[in-house]
Amino acid sequence: MPEAGAVGWRAMRSGPGRILVAVYAVFALSASARAGLQLTTKLDQAPVAYLLSGLAAVVYVVATVSLARSTARSFRVALGAVVLELVGVLTVGALSVVDPVAFPDETVWSGFGAGYGYVPLALPMLGLLWLRHVHGHTVGA
Amino acid sequence: MVLRRIAAVLVPLAALVVVSALVLAGWSLVATARGVRPSTGQLIGSAAIEVLLVVQALVGIVLMVTDDRDVERVTFVGYHLTAVLLLPLGVGWGIADRSRWGNGVLAIAAATEAVLVLRLLQIWGERA
Repeated sequence: MPEAGAVGWRAMRSGPGRILVAVYAVFALSASARAGLQLTTKLDQAPVAYLLSGLAAVVYVVATVSLARSTARSFRVALGAVVLELVGVLTVGALSVVDPVAFPDETVWSGFGAGYGYVPLALPMLGLLWLRHVHGHTVGA
Repeated sequence: MVLRRIAAVLVPLAALVVVSALVLAGWSLVATARGVRPSTGQLIGSAAIEVLLVVQALVGIVLMVTDDRDVERVTFVGYHLTAVLLLPLGVGWGIADRSRWGNGVLAIAAATEAVLVLRLLQIWGERA
């Protein structure tokens, strides 16, 4: 029986799930590179913005890895990461609009992800829909 | 003199990469919708774009080293490296996947290439 469950969870990274993993991987890479540069070279200029940029990078890396692992445990990790991502993009998006001075440099979540074609805003929503779909097919069956 | 000539090549080359990457992305998207796996034509197209990306990276980095104006060097080189590595990864994954979604991954990789190269042009333009 646990084997059937394991096969079911693997649906997380198959079909359209592959696209999701690919897009998350791209964001994990670009957010990590950007945050790494900001944190190492100009942290003192806007510490809050750059630390949040670092948080975004961590969230994308965790989401990518847990989606790709596709196990019952990684499902919960992925769900947590995607929820945190949604909260993050909404919070940072709002803060960057209200207080642009604190966010002088573009981060992935600034302006609700405007610098990245609003993909950072759409991604967690698609992620949640996908996780609900996988959950329904694996646990509901 | 020679360098100026090379500099004149960089922007048209980048534009060619962006357009061909977008064509590949569209092609792969259509293929995903049709439910087929990546075709030989797509692989040849990807290889051609990869050649352009390598040439572009060489030209860009030579120009950066010889140009004394201020380009964000780490970012510039990082974007070039990512652009060169990303497409082979996408193609590899696209072939390994035995379903239509291999084409979906290829579409994402190609679209990301277009964005990367546009950002590269921005970084290059910001130097002046």
